[in-house]
Amino acid sequence: MTSTQPTTQQPTTQSIAAYLAALRLQLAPITLSEREEILREIAAHIRDSFEAGTPIDTVLSRLGTPAQLAAEYRDGQLIRAASRSLSPLTLLRATLRLATKGVTGIIVFFGAFIGYITGGALVIGGILKPFAPNQIGLFTTNTTRDVWKQTGLVTNDARHEIFGWWGIPIALVSGVIVLILTTLAIRLFLRLSQRVQRSL
Amino acid sequence: MARNKLEPDSLSSEALSSRGGPWEAQLRKGALEMAALAALWNGRLYGLEIIRFLEQHSQLVLAEGTIYPILNRLKTEAMLTSEWVEADAGHPRKYYSLTDAGRQRLRLMATAWVDFARGVDNLLQPVLTNQEPTQ
Repeated sequence: MTSTQPTTQQPTTQSIAAYLAALRLQLAPITLSEREEILREIAAHIRDSFEAGTPIDTVLSRLGTPAQLAAEYRDGQLIRAASRSLSPLTLLRATLRLATKGVTGIIVFFGAFIGYITGGALVIGGILKPFAPNQIGLFTTNTTRDVWKQTGLVTNDARHEIFGWWGIPIALVSGVIVLILTTLAIRLFLRLSQRVQRSL
Repeated sequence: MARNKLEPDSLSSEALSSRGGPWEAQLRKGALEMAALAALWNGRLYGLEIIRFLEQHSQLVLAEGTIYPILNRLKTEAMLTSEWVEADAGHPRKYYSLTDAGRQRLRLMATAWVDFARGVDNLLQPVLTNQEPTQ
């Protein structure tokens, strides 16, 4: 076959090797065994296409740049892995990735962010309450005859505290519930977004 | 003035396969997953065969880099299995086959797709029959 003439073989082998090396680097976040399997398959594809008579430049350009190709693999991986993860960091990273792709993703990302902040603040408040009982809690303030409530999680002007020491378990439990609900909501959204992509 | 006149060329599959807007990329990507499953309906194929099958049977000309990540994902979702087969060519090729779950998914997708397409067809009928909007 003309494609294996000695004159074209050298640059061809080089450009294939360069492509695969770049792809290997870009696929770094993926597990070793899966990465090698991907590289083996892409190498077979390049070889088959080339041997069928497609010029090597065309073969490689149709695959996309190594960065583009690797991104397609990683996108699926990140979201799939995150939809089973419990780590706020992983989940936020996945929603951040989705946020770059549409309005729903942006809303979910900010929802997730607010959820984690709120849940985290409640838990931290519950833990710190014993150390700063007058600064942390849910307070009401009575002024003159009007009874109006001024509520806040942190205030120095405490007149009457609503929950007292009960604030600790209440803050801890509600904080944990907010964190769990946030996590479940993100995972549900990630699963749904995978399903939408699939069933479009 | 036929300002909004539809050019038939813009609807051809060739035009659809060229670079379009992001919506088109999303649409193609979604459809491609179903197309990849459908290509395997009659038996196992390797990546390049799937690409050729789609080109021959549907004029779905695709950037080849998109099909392999899709196959990879479908395999992780247990819709496909794969095996390396030593070919006549002298190097092994990765063959994909549908699992039972994959068949089941494809049946559901096909039904949903046909219903969806029928609805969209109805919507597009006036666009296609009246070449020029009444002014």
